Order: sequence, then C-alpha cells, then structure tokens
Amino acid sequence: MLVGTLVVFFVMKAAPGDPALVVLGDFATPETIAKFNADRGLDAPWLMQYLDWLGGILRFDFGTSLSVSADQDISALLAFRLPKTLFIGLYAMTIAITLSLILGTLAAVNRGNAIDTGATSLAVLGVSMPDFWFGYMLILGLSIGLGLFPSYGFIPPSQSILGALHSGFLPALAIAAPMAAVFTRTLRTALIENLDREHVMVSKSLGHSGRFTFFHHVFRNSIIPYIVVVGLQIRYLLGGVVIIERIFGVNGVGSLMVEAAFARDYFVVQACAVVFLAIVLGVNYLVDLICAMLDPRRAR
Amino acid sequence: MKLNALIQNRAALAGSTITALFIIIIIVGPMISPWGSGAFDFTAVLKPPSWSHPFGTDSLGRDVLTRVMEGARISLMISASGVLAAMCLGITAGLFAGYLGGWLDAIVMRMVDLLFAFPAFVLALFLMVALGFGVTNVALAIMLVYLPIFARITRNTTEVVRGDAYVQAAQVMGQSTPRILFREILPNISAPILVQASIAVAFGIVIESGLSFIGLGVQPPTPSLGVIMADGQEYFRRAPWVLTMTGLTVTIALLALNLLGDGLRDLADPRLKRRDA
Amino acid sequence: MKATTKISRRSILKSGAAATTLAMLPLWAGRAEAACGTLRAGITGYNVINTLDPAQASLIPESYVIWGMFNCLLKFDADMNIVPDLAESYESVSPTVVRFKLREGVKFHDGVEMTSADVKFTLERLSDESFGSPHRSKFMPISEIRTPDAYTVEIETAEPFAPMLSYLTNTRTGSQIVPMHLLKDGTPDSFATNPIGTGPFKLSTYEPGASLSLVAHSEYFEEGLPTVSAVDIPLIAEESAGVTALLGGSIDITSTAPFADIPDLEKDNRVQVLKSGGTNTRFISLNNAVAPFDDVHFRRAVSMAFDRQPMVDVVLFGEGRVANGVVPSSISWAATKEQPMETTMNPEAALAELEKSKYGKGTEAAILTWGSSWWKRFAEVFVLQVNQVLGVNFNVEVSDSGTVYQRMQSGDVQGSIWGWLGLIDPDEYAYEIYHTNGARNFENYSNPEVDALLEEARRTLDLGPRGDLYRQAEALAIKDCPVLPCFESNVHNLLAPKVQGFVQRPYSGFGAQLADVKDC
Repeated sequence: MLVGTLVVFFVMKAAPGDPALVVLGDFATPETIAKFNADRGLDAPWLMQYLDWLGGILRFDFGTSLSVSADQDISALLAFRLPKTLFIGLYAMTIAITLSLILGTLAAVNRGNAIDTGATSLAVLGVSMPDFWFGYMLILGLSIGLGLFPSYGFIPPSQSILGALHSGFLPALAIAAPMAAVFTRTLRTALIENLDREHVMVSKSLGHSGRFTFFHHVFRNSIIPYIVVVGLQIRYLLGGVVIIERIFGVNGVGSLMVEAAFARDYFVVQACAVVFLAIVLGVNYLVDLICAMLDPRRAR
Repeated sequence: MKLNALIQNRAALAGSTITALFIIIIIVGPMISPWGSGAFDFTAVLKPPSWSHPFGTDSLGRDVLTRVMEGARISLMISASGVLAAMCLGITAGLFAGYLGGWLDAIVMRMVDLLFAFPAFVLALFLMVALGFGVTNVALAIMLVYLPIFARITRNTTEVVRGDAYVQAAQVMGQSTPRILFREILPNISAPILVQASIAVAFGIVIESGLSFIGLGVQPPTPSLGVIMADGQEYFRRAPWVLTMTGLTVTIALLALNLLGDGLRDLADPRLKRRDA
Repeated sequence: MKATTKISRRSILKSGAAATTLAMLPLWAGRAEAACGTLRAGITGYNVINTLDPAQASLIPESYVIWGMFNCLLKFDADMNIVPDLAESYESVSPTVVRFKLREGVKFHDGVEMTSADVKFTLERLSDESFGSPHRSKFMPISEIRTPDAYTVEIETAEPFAPMLSYLTNTRTGSQIVPMHLLKDGTPDSFATNPIGTGPFKLSTYEPGASLSLVAHSEYFEEGLPTVSAVDIPLIAEESAGVTALLGGSIDITSTAPFADIPDLEKDNRVQVLKSGGTNTRFISLNNAVAPFDDVHFRRAVSMAFDRQPMVDVVLFGEGRVANGVVPSSISWAATKEQPMETTMNPEAALAELEKSKYGKGTEAAILTWGSSWWKRFAEVFVLQVNQVLGVNFNVEVSDSGTVYQRMQSGDVQGSIWGWLGLIDPDEYAYEIYHTNGARNFENYSNPEVDALLEEARRTLDLGPRGDLYRQAEALAIKDCPVLPCFESNVHNLLAPKVQGFVQRPYSGFGAQLADVKDC
C-alpha cells in the first residue's frame, strides 16, 4: 500500500501540463501562476510534497483540489462521492451474483442440452461486449425506446432508496454484465467438476435426494472457487465503474477521476487511485477471510 | 496441440475461423472498399445504413464501414503490440522469478502484486494522465496492465515444472540458466500463456476503445474503434448507427477471440475437455 | 444599439402533450413535480465550478450562477442595449468621466445596504495587482473613482475609454458589485463558495461537481422579482444527458443543448427550444511569426482554400453562421457586414496566392485542437479541405485546451483552433486580437494602420463612428489573414413546455434571466 502511494505520487508528478494554467484558465498571467503554485506548496521539493501528502492520507486528508473543484477538501469530495460509487458497485455485484447463480446452476444441471448452450453463449457474449457500449444500448432500448429508466443522473440513496435503485439500475446492469458472465462460467465449471466427484456418487447411492445432494455436497464445494473469482473481479468492477459512471452521470469517485484527468487535477487523480487501490485490497482481504471460514478442511 | 484437436473443439474452431475471417476483412476490406477511411463528403453527412454505405456515414460523410475496418486494424495493432510487449517482459520476469526463487522472486512478485491490485482501467486511465494521449501511450498502458498477469502465470507454472526430469537433465548437462529457461521450460509452459494472450488481446481492445471513448486515448483523425464510437456517441440520438454498428463489430471480434481462448484452454486442460465433451 | 436577436419558440403544449410528459416521468420524479415554487435549471455541458467570487471567476458555468446572485451597475436588455441596473441612471460628464446615480435601498443578501463605497471597493479590488483578478486588465484604464455621496459614483479614465460601459454590465466582466463590509480586510476563503451579492437569488447549498441550490432574495430591489422561491441547479456534464433529463421531466431549463439534436427537439412538443445567434467567434489562429504562416500569401491561400458553410453544417450541424470577421455579428453596430473576399472559398485565387508564396505544395503544418466533441471535428474539416485544395500536408494534433492555450501564449505553435465566447464589447475582439499589444493577439500580428484605427475606436464614445472604426480596422486586418474567422455558433436553451418568462440573451445570460421565470 505504501509502495502503491509512492508509485501513484511520482508517476503523477511526471505528468505533462501545468495545473496552474488549467485552473486559472483563459486569463492567467505569470504572476498569478507563481502565486498559485506558492499558495499550494507546488514549488516545494518533490520528496517534501510526497511526505506531506502521505501524512495526509493516513488522516484521510488528501489536501485540496486544484481545478475540478478549486480549494475544496478532496476528502470532502470523496466523502460525498464514495457512497454513490459503493452503492452502484454493490448493486452491480448483487445483479451479477444473482444472474450467475441462476444461469450457472441451470447450465451445470442441464449440462450439454439447450439450456446449457444458451447460458454459456450468453456468458461468452457478456464478456465480449465493451461495457460502455452495452450501456448505450441499454439507454437506446430501455430508456429512449421504452422510457423505463432514466438515461442520466442518479438519485443518491440518502435521498430515496427507491429512486437510487431505479436510477441506478442501468449503470449497475452495464457494469454487472461482463462480471455475471465470468461468474456464470466459473460456477458452471466448478459445479460440473463437483457433480462428477465420488462422494456425490456415494451420496446419491445412499438414497439422498437429488436436491439435498446438490446443495449439501456440490454447491458447498463449488462456492469457494466462485468466491475467489468474485473477489478477483472487483478489479474489473471498479474499472467498469469509472467509465459507466461517466456515461450515466453518476457523481461517484469514477466520474470524479475522469473529470480530474481532463482538468489535470493531480491531487484528485492521485486520491481516486489510492481509494480504488484501498477498496481492492480491502475486498481481497475480506475474500480471504470468507474462504478461510468456508473451507471445510480448515474448518476442522 | 494438434490441428485435428483444434478442429474437433467447436468453440476453438468457431473462434479461430471468425478471427481469421476478421483479420482478412480488416486487411483486405479497406483496399477493396470504394470509399477511403478519410474521404469526406459534406453532402452525405449522417446517412443511415444503405447498400452503398452498409454502416451508414458519420458526421463528415465518411463511410463508417471503411472506418471501422481501418479502426479495427489500428485497435488490434495497439492491443496486440501492448500484449506482446507485456508477454516479453512478463514472461522473462516470471521465468527468472519462478526458476531462481529467493529474493529476486520476492521483489518481482511484490511489484507484480502491486500492479495487479489496481483495477485495470483505473491503472490505464492513470497512465494516460501521466503519459499523455496517443497511440504509443495506449499500447504502453495495455502493456502495464498485462505485465503482472503474464509474470504471475509464468512464475507459477515455472515453479511447478522446475523440478521435472527434463529440467534436471538440462541442469546436469550444464546448460546455462537462460538456455534452460527459454529452451526447456518455456515451450513446456506455453499453453496457458497462449490462452491468456488471446484473452488479453481481446481485453486490450476493450481498454483501448474505453480510453479513446472518453477522449483520453487515441486521438482523431486516427480512426481507432474507440475514436469512432466517441464520435458516434456525440450524435447518438440523431444517428445511432455509428455507435451501434461499431460496437457490434467490436463485440463480434471479441466474441471470436474469447471463443478461441476458451477453446485453447479446453485443449490445454484435458481434464475439462474430457468431462465437457 | 441595434441587435438581431432571433428567438424561435415552440408553441406551448398541446392538450395531449401533458399525458406524454407524465408517462415519461421516472418513478422518483413525482415528488418534485408537485412543487412549482422550485425551478430546476440545469447547467449542462459543464460540471466544474471553482469559485463564485465574480472577480475571480473565469469559467462560463461560474458566470451562469454569478449572474443570478449579483448585479452590476449596468446590464443588457433583450435587444442588447446597455441599460441601468444597480445604477438608476448614468451620464457622461466629460469624455473621460462617467457619473452613475445609484438606486437607493438596495440590500445585500445579508441585509446590509449597498452604497457607492461598495462600488468603489469592487472596482479597486479588481484592479489591485496583489488580488490577481483575471479581469484586471479591463479596469486598468480607470484613473480615479470618486464617491461624492452614498448614491453617486464618478469613474474617471486617463483618456477616453469607450468599452468601459460594456465592462460595467452583468456579463463575464467581473464587475459584479461585492459587499465591502465583508471583504475589506481581505477576501475570506468562504466567499468563493458562499458569496453575498445583491442579486435576485442567494446561495443555499452547494455540492461541488453536483449541484447548487439558490433561494429567492426577499429584499431584492426589483418589485415582484424573483417570481420563483427557489432554484435548483444540477451540474450535468453531458449535454445530451441534459436533454434526456428535460424530456424526462427532471429539470425545467437547460443552459445549453447539443447541436446535433436541435432539429429533432424543435419538432418535439415536450420541449421549447430557444435559439439565437451567439456572441462568440471561432477561428483558426495562425502564428504569423513562424513558418509556414509567416508568409501573408500563404495565409491568404489557406484562408481561401476552405469553405466555411460546410463547417457550420458539419461541425455545428447547422447551428450557427459563417463569420465575416472576429467581431460577432450579434454586435451588429461594429461587425463586418459582408463576407470579405479573403475569407471566401476560391480555389483558383487560393492557388494563385500559393504561387506567390515562398511555400508550395507539400508544406507541412500542425493544427492544434482539443476536446472530445466538435472542436476536434472543426480542425479535421479545416485540414481535410485545405489539404485537398492546396495539396499541402497539414495534420491535426490533439491535446487538451489548457495545453493549447499555454502553447499559444508561449508561441510554441504553428496553427490552432481557437475562439472566444461571451465577450460583449467589440474592443474585446477586434482590439485584443488585431492590435500589436492586444491581450489576445497570440498570432504576433502587427500592423500600424490597424493599431491606429483601433486606438481611435477606444477614444470614440459615439457608437456609430466607433463601430465604423472597428469595421475599417477589421477590413485592413483581414487582408493580412492573421487569423482565419470561421463561424459563430448559436446559443440554445431548452425549456419545459410550462416554463414562461425566460428571455434568452445572445451572450447566454443564464442566471440573470431566471428571476423573470413566471411558471415552471
């Protein structure tokens, strides 16, 4: 994590373009630029700037924004936007998991027949569509065409849970599609492997019902690789969030990062990268914990 | 991996056929197309799909199909060169780390873990801000996204085969370490790497088009797939075909690459093939 | 001052439209629909607001809000005439002195009365070098500000300076009157996000990058205004999303509209489209100091080698007009009336000029541009045409607008796409671009005859003769082609069918117009 912040900081410092100019805009003069840089400590040596910044992160203080929202506390910006990103992320995850549990199980149980082929094809299609394009197709079909969902703007859950679920559905679905596809394939493979295992045969021969066998033996054993993959996919989820948030006008951390990228607001881009890094590491830790709990061998 | 095995696997067959067809089309297509990818015609702006313009025309009256073929070639080249560079560096790092172990392994894998912890698109976006726009930098970003993946796969498989008889034999014969790595080990672990490569090229195209789509990647007039879609997005309501058709093409191309990757995986992993057949 | 403000408005909703609108409403919008007291005016195409301090603001969306929260001494009426605002009247005492009589009883949002001391403070703050206002240069010609009593202000300039009146209007000038009692010991940081003005609306909440909400200023000096009790201003980065939000009933007014969608929207009875020729100019800036644009024949050849009408059609989807010069046609008393020969497509004449030039076919040049939308297409359309007609080899180089601006200032550029928007005095276009010492002269252009005419125009207070001087100066300058004027784009506002009373301004005076909205 520490090394991560170091990389983030110095790569950002090497970036071309002068943030002062972007901020001061059309009417900048050399004097105002010098003043701007001095005010924000941008004329100090890099190492000092880094240590300052790192010290700030530990206190959840990322400094102030340069150009996306001048002189605003970045922590305040993040605090305002992070809940929306987390909501959309969790929403997408829920959709992806629900879809994949249904499709994956159906495919595995009906291995080889039309249902399996259908579910598997859907899964391959899911990973093959660029998520932002799928987002636009959803807008074209469900929003412009049928008028079922708003194509832009997100009602934060703090205002209305129902509004958040409704206005967040299309972005969450666009992010969820490729993930659901990957999850479905993983689950199907794991289930099929476990269905062929000896203890499953034994259980069946002992006269346990098909349903009992399936849930007690097969599903339990298949769920660990599934959770591992879910954990790994958090990286793609967050990547999808960045671009999808922008398309659907969700004021989250992802769209903040893109805006900051355009505005050359170094501090904000850095802060967003660190936040995403922290989320990934946090989720990975959580996945490790869950797997340890579920693993029957370790449980003993 | 034998040819007849490839033919017997439906997914691999379909994938490789479509991929091959696709590559032929994007190379030959622009040559036989009556339109140039940059040939503007201000009298035929935003024309819907028709026989003469199967994908319609864009905001400058250019034939979208021709541009998509041209753009697909550019996107594929960017993605493939990024992935190739990632393979070269990643495989080398992974081979040495997996074979030699110890502190080298620890350092390389720490760095790999670090890069791996970043969401791919966040990392790519971050690099575009740091490096600036342009074709080369997009390829560079793709390289950095895939470098850790190739390094990790290579390292893990190398570690597994390190103790195998043929490696020990080579050691006994006094072969140099690089020779053992690239001559003995690499050919034996190439299957999973190739599988990963075909999938990586597919996702590389997604990364390229994503970056260019939001305006941080390839810049016009170079017609990459992302650039064409970004242009189409601007007047999406008025002329939905530009974005729709281009995206559909990307989807088909990625579908083919993914099928190919799946097929290769099944072939490389006989366990699944046997059960699935 | 005459101005041609063409406003086409959709006839108000037919009986069936209400049902359609309701059907389009998303589930969650029902709540907002009931309260008509709150106007929902979306700023579209932008979502960055750095400061609401008028003297520091430089971005368009910042002005959109500031215009509704502050007043200036003067303002523009619907026909682009300068009329009093905080001033009750004004008169020219001598060629260098203008006297303003202020309204009495004007209250700031905090209840304190606005007096001549605030006016003097505001203008001195703008010209204070240590304050570093981006608008400082406009107020440099002021030599003295006198306040004989609480309601009289006299502004004296060292020599006659005709643009001064324009600079005191409620536009992108920075001269919005700020409260001295809050700022006299230095501007507190909070003023940027929680400013106090005299305008019809005061700030209630501000969520950076997302939205602002304003409430009516109950002690506003104009009787009966504002008519709405509150305004919510969501910041919507994508213009097309603003359209969807309006059609979906989640907002009532947009600040802009996507050019491509205008024809469809004009046919749609769920929306009123307001449009007028904008006060702006879009041109190609050529660096007259470096090859190949250091040769006047080459510049002239390039200027005559591309057709500007297709640019309007293709870049703006028809939502604009070909520019005759850099002074926008909406400033009709000073704008060049006919399209000059030098800016009209003429392949034969262009090739003849190329013959006279020291550069020939195959000459290479990079044209800078930026952005994701039409700025890129602008450069592309230019380069494609010129390459075809002259056989030269220009290419487009894309970066971001900040970098382009930086390179233009440092002279590290051959040619670039550029434009100015929302400037309201011809001096800000003609003098600043063509004069040797002009602040916007990035072309390194210098012509003593042009300079003399432009200086004369600054000293001429009478609009008629002053306008003629700008025309003469521009006619001379255009022969040298330091910049290649291309087009002006229309300004648009989209209104929900119910909205009444919003009058558009060619400089797109968004916030200032919201006070007049009667129904929403």
